[in-house]
Order: sequence, then C-alpha cells, then structure tokens
Amino acid sequence: MGTETKTPFVRLAKRAEMAPRKIWLIRISSIIIALILGCIPIILTGNNPVSAYGVIIQGSLSRPIYVRQTIKIAVPLLGCALAIAPCFKMRFWNIGAEGQITMGAMVATYFALFWVDKVPHVPLLIIMFLTAAIAGGLWALIPAFFKAKWNTNETLFTLMMNYIAIGIVAWLQGGPWEGRKGSQLIPMFDKAARLPTVLGVHCGWIIVLVLVLLMYIYMNKTKQGYEIAVIGDSVNTARYAGMNVGWIIMRTMFISGAISGIVGFIIVSGANFTLYKGVANGVGFTSITVAWLSQLNSFAMIAISMMLGILEKGANTLQTKMQVPASIADIITGILLFCMLSSEFFINYRLIFRGRKEVKA
Amino acid sequence: MKKITFVLIVLMLISGFAFASGSSETAAPADSNTVKVGLLCIGDENDQGYTFNFIRGRDEATEMLKADGINVEWVTKYNIGEDATCTDANIEAAEEGCQIIINNSYGFEPFMLEVVDEYPEIEFISCTNCASAFDGRDNTHNAFANIYEGRYIAGVVAGMKLQQMIDEGKITPDQAIIGYVGAYSFAEVISGFTAYFLGARSVCPSVTMKVSFVGSWSDATAESDAALALADQGCVMISQHSDNTTPATAAQSRGVFHTGYNNDMTSIAPNASLISTRIDWGIYFYEAIKAYVNGEEIPQDWCKGMADGAVVMTPLNEAIAAPGTAEKIAEVEQGLADGSIQVFDTSTFTVKGEELTHAFALDTDGDFTADSEEAVYDGAFHESVFQSAPYFVEQIDGIEWLNAAY
Repeated sequence: MGTETKTPFVRLAKRAEMAPRKIWLIRISSIIIALILGCIPIILTGNNPVSAYGVIIQGSLSRPIYVRQTIKIAVPLLGCALAIAPCFKMRFWNIGAEGQITMGAMVATYFALFWVDKVPHVPLLIIMFLTAAIAGGLWALIPAFFKAKWNTNETLFTLMMNYIAIGIVAWLQGGPWEGRKGSQLIPMFDKAARLPTVLGVHCGWIIVLVLVLLMYIYMNKTKQGYEIAVIGDSVNTARYAGMNVGWIIMRTMFISGAISGIVGFIIVSGANFTLYKGVANGVGFTSITVAWLSQLNSFAMIAISMMLGILEKGANTLQTKMQVPASIADIITGILLFCMLSSEFFINYRLIFRGRKEVKA
Repeated sequence: MKKITFVLIVLMLISGFAFASGSSETAAPADSNTVKVGLLCIGDENDQGYTFNFIRGRDEATEMLKADGINVEWVTKYNIGEDATCTDANIEAAEEGCQIIINNSYGFEPFMLEVVDEYPEIEFISCTNCASAFDGRDNTHNAFANIYEGRYIAGVVAGMKLQQMIDEGKITPDQAIIGYVGAYSFAEVISGFTAYFLGARSVCPSVTMKVSFVGSWSDATAESDAALALADQGCVMISQHSDNTTPATAAQSRGVFHTGYNNDMTSIAPNASLISTRIDWGIYFYEAIKAYVNGEEIPQDWCKGMADGAVVMTPLNEAIAAPGTAEKIAEVEQGLADGSIQVFDTSTFTVKGEELTHAFALDTDGDFTADSEEAVYDGAFHESVFQSAPYFVEQIDGIEWLNAAY
C-alpha cells in the first residue's frame, strides 16, 4: 500500500485448474475462429469459403479411395509424433526426426534393392524393419551422446543432422543407386520388398497403432517412462534421486530415433516404393505440431494426425477442383494449427488488463 | 476427457460425410464429344520454359479440337514433384473423372505406373520417358518429339554467327567456343548438345564446345552461374538444356550470344538470344485426344519431328543473326525433311578418334544400359527411331565435358 506502481496495459497470469468443460469451450472456439480466418485467403482467390471447406472434407473422406489416401498421409505423422513424444516429455528438443526417418528409409532401401533376390518376402520385410529401426536409433544417438557427455545444444545438433542425412540420400540418388544414368531416380522396389495392404491401405497403419499402445504403456506404466517424466520436470531432482541422466537421455533418444526409422521404413516400403531425398517430406517437423496439440497423449495423436491428413488430402483436391494455388491450402492449414496451439496458451494463462479489478480465482 | 475426444472425432466424421454428400460429385462427362483430360506438370507457367511450353500446347490443342467439334475439359495440376506426390496426383486426376492423364516430366513415369493398373479404362501418357511403351499394358503410352532436329538447326544458326565473327576478325577461328549449360549427363541432354554441336560445325568447321552440367532440371541461379562461368572461360556462344531463361540473361550480361530451348528468349535477352527451338506439344495432344474420341488407339510410343510440325523454331532474331541465316534454316529444314541431311551422320564426327560403327538403342533387361537394336546403319546414328526418348550417349571429339552430373 502507499507506493503506486505503474501497471502495464496487459499482464499474464498463470491459471489455476480449469473446468474441463471450459477448456473444451476454448479449444472449440479456437477452431471456429481458425475456420473464420481461413475464409480470408479463400475469398481473396475469389472462391466461396463454404464450398471450399466442403471440397476439403469431400476430397479427403467422401470415397473409400480418398479415405485410404488420407490415412496414408496420417500414418507417418502419427508414427513420428509417437517417436518425438518421449524426447519432448524429457524436454529434449529433438527436431531431427526428419533425418532419422531418412536414415531408416535409406537402410531399408539398401535391403530392398540388394537383398531382394537372396531373402524371401516376409523375412526381407522383417530385416528392413529392424535395420531401419537400428539406423534411425543410431542416427539419433549421436546428438544424444554429445548432449550427455558435453551438454551440446540438442536443437541445433539434431537439426543439422537432418541435412547430412538428406545429403547422403541425394548422393545415392544421383550416384551409386541411380537407375538409368542421369535420371536421378532410384529404381522402384520389387513386389517382395513392399508392405502388404490390409483393408486397402499398406499395413503400416497396424504397425503405428500397435506403437500407440506400446508408447502409452511405456510412458505411463513403466519405470523408464517415469524417469523420463522426472527429468522433464527437473533434471536436478532426477540427479538427486540417483538417476543417470546422461544414460536416460541416450536411451530415450535411441528409442525415439528407432521409431522414426520404422516410420522411414513404412514410407518407402508401404507408400513410395522408392527412395529420394525428400522421403521424409516434412513429416519430422509437422509431427512436432501433432505431438504438441495432443499434449503428448498417444491416443489424442491418432485424432490430430487424422485431422492433418484430412487437411492435406483435402487441400490437394481443393487445388484440383477450384484451381487455387497449393500455397493457399497451406496457409489455411497454418492458420488452423496456429489457432489451436494458441488456444493451449489461453488455457494455461489468462490476460489481466490494466484498470480491471483482479478477481481472486 | 477421452470420451469428449471420441465424441469430437465422431462429430467430425459425421459432419464430414454430411458436407461430402452435399457437394456435387464430378465424374466423366456424359457427352461423347467432350473429353476430360488431366495434365500433371512439374512446374507452372511462370517458368517461361518447360511447363509453359506444355500449357501452350494444351491451349493450342484445345483450339484445334474445338474446330473438329470436340470439347476438352482440362484438369491441370502444377508443381508436382518427381516423387510419391506424383502417384497421388495421378489418383486425384483419375478420381476427378479424367479419361486421359498426361504426365509432363520424365521422372513422373515410375510413379504413374504405380497407379495405371487400378484404372484400366483410363489412358495414361508419360511424356519424354520410355517405359510405358514397352510395358505390355494397353493404357500406358509414351511421347516425345525429334527435338534433336530443332537443336541441329539452332546449332546452324549459332555456327553461322560464329563464322561471321571469324570472318569479320572479331575472334580467331580457335576462339569459336560454344558453352553449353546442361541439366544432367543424361541421354536426352547428351543427344541434344551433340546435335547442336554438329549443326554448328556444319557451317563453322573450327568450332569447339564446353559443357557444364548443373545437376538440376530447373535451378535458375545455378544455370546462370554456369553460363557466366562458361563465358568467363572464353565461350562466345551459350546454349542450354535446362528449364529457365537465366542462361540467356547471363549471356547478354557478358556480351556473348545465346540460343535457347522451350521458349522464345529474344524478348528477355534481345542483344544475345538468336533463336530457340521447342517441341509443339499441341500436335501430339491433338492427335492423341482425337484418336481417343474416335475410339482409336492412342499410339504406344509417339514421336514426330519437324516435318510434322512437332518441333518448331521460334522467330529468328534478325537484328543480330548472321546474314543469310533465314535462308540457311529453310534449306536445312528441307534437307532434314527429305532425308538428305542426317543429324548424326557418322562421317561428320568421331568418338575417341574413330568413326562410330556400332551403338545399341534399347535396354531390354532392365540394367539401364542399352543392349539391343543397332542404331548405326546407312552411314548415320538413327536417333528416336526405336523409342521416342533419345538414346544417343556417345561422347564425341570436339566436345569437352567440364564435369558430369548423373
């Protein structure tokens, strides 16, 4: 009392617990706001927003083949979000999933190209699966080792590792693995190196759904999952409790990279049937959004990755039908993700405007 | 909370289906004189080169077909990668009700072929590639044109300019060096620059050529850098097999001359660009779509040349071309049409000091090395006879490869 301090126009305060109903109200209204904002670019291109949204939904869900295509987009997103989740839980910012996918895909491709005459169908796929996991894991282990040993910055390190992986594939594509000279194309996989389809979609969807379950159990029911959570909350607490933090970082990153590697295997063997430098196609980055939006909850990731799949597939149809540039569809996706992520901010914080009386929550 | 998530997903799906059933479905047009054609492009019109040339062909064919009472409804998709997005684009176009789907880039073919068996009633066309013609399927086709004829003539134009510069004493005979910006060390490119070089040497005997590969079909900066570097190495004439116009502007900035590909570049570099050659895709699109509507077969492997208008020269830049060039072009065109001029006449070039007596055209066992069909006979290498896609890969004397990009 007595001393008058100038309060800023707007302040942030951490919210206390909020009623689930209110949380969902914020989330749903953020989606509505996003949909309204998304109308702006559509109107700017001279189209009707309602029919544009209709085309997006129709293009992704209205026919069995569209649903299959949508799932094909969602599968790697889901798999990679699962891979990233334990790292983020530990507050280890692994943005190198792109490279880990690429390395897994590359090693799987090696066996698909050069072992196809030597090994029958199913064993070949198992070899590809396992080696892709190991390759992705080892690729992720490198930055983890440096982090554990010398406390290097993992964000930059994992990011840089992406470009190395992509560069190696670019070299293979134009060099030793190239098909017709000068074509820059690696030959298509033989039938024996392709994942079988179940219900019209490559069986990668079964693999990732199993991973969802395993990851849920790992994070919530095991000692290792608990250790990850403790490190994420406080490294010092973990040390005080006698945990070997460096070892846990390396172990978690290996698991994370291995799952990314499996995603790489699923992409080349299930969807693309060949390898090229853009094999990860941004999945390693988009899946970060999936992981955050689902708040690292494995089951929520299914819904979020499907939602992004719908948007991406629908955007493709939007481009075909309404002749809007592909970038307009990307803008709409960006707006939606931005609104959804910022709704989490308003769930955790509230704004206090100057002059308004503070109400004790 | 999980319950709410579940409810939300269900709601989302329901609203999705509601939306979907609300919008009208598109299918193949019912009218038998209307045909829906998909055109999948690697770039867009703004490249003013490769894809622009396809769009021009598309519009031209539409006009020609309209005159015949056939309406074409085009579904054009731009900026598709030579990767799995191409597979998706083909599915997308097929589901849109396209009856013919044209893939405009070489690297699209393997991804297109992943889809074709799902849609046996749709005709798929891969331009500039070579697997569809021989894959045993009825609904997959290849198409290309004898672009080496156009390059040969562009070479003649360049050679005449160089000879004029020699005659006027501006350069010595051994300074007549051509710099060529190539995309990759790939048969189509090798065939193209060899034809160009032979055209130039037919009118300027002292000419030599340096080739720089940029390792990309379309990289405006790299193409410009390569052209500048070639000019700095003494090249006084630049030509290109890449998608952008930057080699033309680079040539102009160094005060050297240029001949182009895909598009007339004289407006971009009026003091440098002499002429360009391009494929007129309208001729093929017209024939293929007309055949489809008439219930005839689209040819498995289509390849035509200058005599049929499938390869054309852009207007000659008379202001800077050597005198008499236009007459010479007409003479060479006539010679190519009646067969008196063979572009790859084996008496006009040597490989490692010796005349070329043997070269295979086709790869039949899938190892990507040609192993059948002798292409050298009657005193010439016969390009684009056994398949539409070029197969000339010899490194002839007089052309220096500065690098290679496979």
